[in-house]
Amino acid sequence: MKRIETSIENLKTDISNFYNQEKHHFVVMNAVDLGEKIEVQWFFCDYEPPCAITAFCTQIQPTNEIPSIRDLISSAWVAEAELVDLMDIKIENTSKGFVLEPDFESGPLRKKK
Amino acid sequence: MKTFFKALGNLFKKPVTIKYPFEKTYIPDDYRGVIEFDENLCIWCRRCEMACPPGAIVFSQDMEGKQTYHYNKAVCIFCKECVRNCPKEGAIFQTGIPARFALKEDNINNGWNILYDEALKSRDAYAAEKKRLAAKKAAAAKTVVEK
Amino acid sequence: MATQYEIPVGAQHISLLEPLHFKFITENEKIVDTTANVFYVHRGIEKACCSKFKFRQVSFVVGRVCGLCSISHTTAYSQVAEKLIKIEIPLRAKHLRMLVIELDRIHSHLLCLSHVAENSGFEALFMKTMQYREAFMELLEAICGNRIQYDFSIVGGVARDLKPEVGQMIMERLKKFKPQLDELVDIYQNNWSLSLKNKGAGAITKKDAMRLNVVGPFARAAGLAIDVRNETEDLLPWKEVGFEIVTGTAGDVYARNMVRLGEINVSMRIIENIIKGLPESALITETKAFPDGEAVVRIEAPRGELFYYAKGNKTQILERLKIKAPTFSNISAMVEGFKGNEYGSVPAIIASYDPCLSCTAR
Repeated sequence: MKRIETSIENLKTDISNFYNQEKHHFVVMNAVDLGEKIEVQWFFCDYEPPCAITAFCTQIQPTNEIPSIRDLISSAWVAEAELVDLMDIKIENTSKGFVLEPDFESGPLRKKK
Repeated sequence: MKTFFKALGNLFKKPVTIKYPFEKTYIPDDYRGVIEFDENLCIWCRRCEMACPPGAIVFSQDMEGKQTYHYNKAVCIFCKECVRNCPKEGAIFQTGIPARFALKEDNINNGWNILYDEALKSRDAYAAEKKRLAAKKAAAAKTVVEK
Repeated sequence: MATQYEIPVGAQHISLLEPLHFKFITENEKIVDTTANVFYVHRGIEKACCSKFKFRQVSFVVGRVCGLCSISHTTAYSQVAEKLIKIEIPLRAKHLRMLVIELDRIHSHLLCLSHVAENSGFEALFMKTMQYREAFMELLEAICGNRIQYDFSIVGGVARDLKPEVGQMIMERLKKFKPQLDELVDIYQNNWSLSLKNKGAGAITKKDAMRLNVVGPFARAAGLAIDVRNETEDLLPWKEVGFEIVTGTAGDVYARNMVRLGEINVSMRIIENIIKGLPESALITETKAFPDGEAVVRIEAPRGELFYYAKGNKTQILERLKIKAPTFSNISAMVEGFKGNEYGSVPAIIASYDPCLSCTAR
C-alpha cells in the first residue's frame, strides 16, 4: 500500500492529477480517530495487475471542513455520507441521515473522553 | 414447450421436501455439538474463559480458593476455541450432541448475566482476601524480626 | 405535460429480500428519478470490534456480518490480521480456504438466480433452482459443521480438516450436478417468456460502469473485466487451480444471469482441481505476537470486491477496522440504472443487482 501525504487545500488538484477513469478505481474513504486529530484517507486501486493500492492521507482538526470530490468521481457521495454520519466530520454539501437514522446520536465511532 | 411437458411430468413424481422434525435429516458424524468438561483433569488456568468469543464460560471462586465451572449452552457458538486453547488435552472437549432448546424456567438470558457478574465479583473478593492475609503475615514477620 | 407520481418501494415489500428503501418519481409508468437510503440494519460492528473483542475473537464476530458471504468476511479478516502479526499460513490451509470460498460462491449464485426467476413471475423455476442448491448446503455442513455461518477461517489457518470420505462425497455430488446445471442454462437462455422480462431491462454501458466504479458480476456483465482473483496472486493461488474470468457484453439482467451461470461452471472445475491435488501439511501456524501497523486486503466475495483495512497498536484490541462491502460500491449505479425503465420490472431489476444490505450497513 503506498501512502501519499496531502492537505485540504491541495486535495482536489492532487486527486485530479492522479485519477484516470480508464486506469484507476476509487474504492472507499476512511477516517481514523487519533485523539487530538482525525486522519482521513482516500483509497484508489489500479485496474491492471499487479493492482497496487494508493492511499491519499491527511490529518485534520475535527472542526475543519473537507472539500467534496463528487465532481471528479460521481460515485463518491456514498462514502462521504457514511463518514459524515459515523465520524461527525464536516464535508461540503453533505447532510446526515443516510447510514444512521436522523434522530440517532451523531459520531458513534469517535473516542469518548 | 419443453418446460410445459416437464411441468406435467412433475405431477407424477415424489415431492422433494423432508418433513423435518418427523423425518430425519442428514447429520455428519463430526457435528459441532455441546462442550463437556472433565473436572479431574483441569488445571484451572482459565484460558478457555479468556478465549471464548461470546463469553459462555465463566469460573467462580469461593473463599477457600476452589473454583467452579459454569457453561451456558444457549450463548455458545460451538466454535471450539476453548478446546484449541486448553493446555491439558481431554479437560474440555466437544461432543456430537446437538443443543436442545431452552425453556423459560431456565432463565437463560438475565439469569446468566447475574451469574456472570457474581462469579467475577467472587474472584475479586478472594483475591482481595488473599492480599489482606499476606499483608498481615508480612507485618507479623516484620515485628518478629525487629524484636 | 404528464403528471408525476412519487412511489415508495419501502423497507417492507413483498418482492424485496433486503431492507432497502427507494422513492421513485414516475411519469406514465416510466421512471424519471430515484433516491435511496439504507439506515435499517446498522448494528455497530466496527465499533464493537475495536472496543469489546480481542483480535483473535474478531474473526467470529465478522463472520456474522452477512449470512451469504460469511466465509469471505472471515477469510479477509484472517488475512489482514496475519499481515499485522507478520506470519505465513501453511499450504494446505490456503487450498482448503479456496475450496470453501468456491462452494459458497455456487450456493450464493444459485440463490440469486432463483430470486430473479421468482420476481420475473416464473415460480416453478425458483423452486427447481432451490432444490438443486440443497445438495450444496449438505456438503457445506459436512465440511464446516454448519449450513450458513461456517467459522472456518481463524487467524493462523483453518479450524477443521477435510476427511477423505467427505472429498469422495464432493466429487460424487458434482458429477450428479453437471447435467442439472446444463438443464438450468438451457432454460435461462432459451425460454421465451423469461426473456421478455429480462432482455433489455436495467442495462448499463461499459463507459458508465467505469465512471461509477461498479464491482462484481454487475461490472463483468457490462464488459469490464475486473475480478480480484485475476489480479492478486500473493495470498491465495487462484491461477494455479484453474481460474478463468467470465464476461458478458450487454449489461442487462439477461447478461448477468449468463455471467453467474458461467461462474458456477468455473467454480466446479476449481473444486475438482483442488480435491485432486490437495497438499499435505499442518493446519495452523502458532504465534504469540500482537498486531502492529496498518494493512489492507481485497478479496472476491460472490457479489464483488470486499475490502478490509485494519490498524493495530501492539495490544490485544485493534485500533480501527474498516469494512467495505461490494453492494456499497454499487449503490450509486443502482440509483442511476433505474432511469428509463418501466415500473413493473423494478422487482426483477433489484433482484438481479443482488444487494446484500447486512454487509452494507453493518
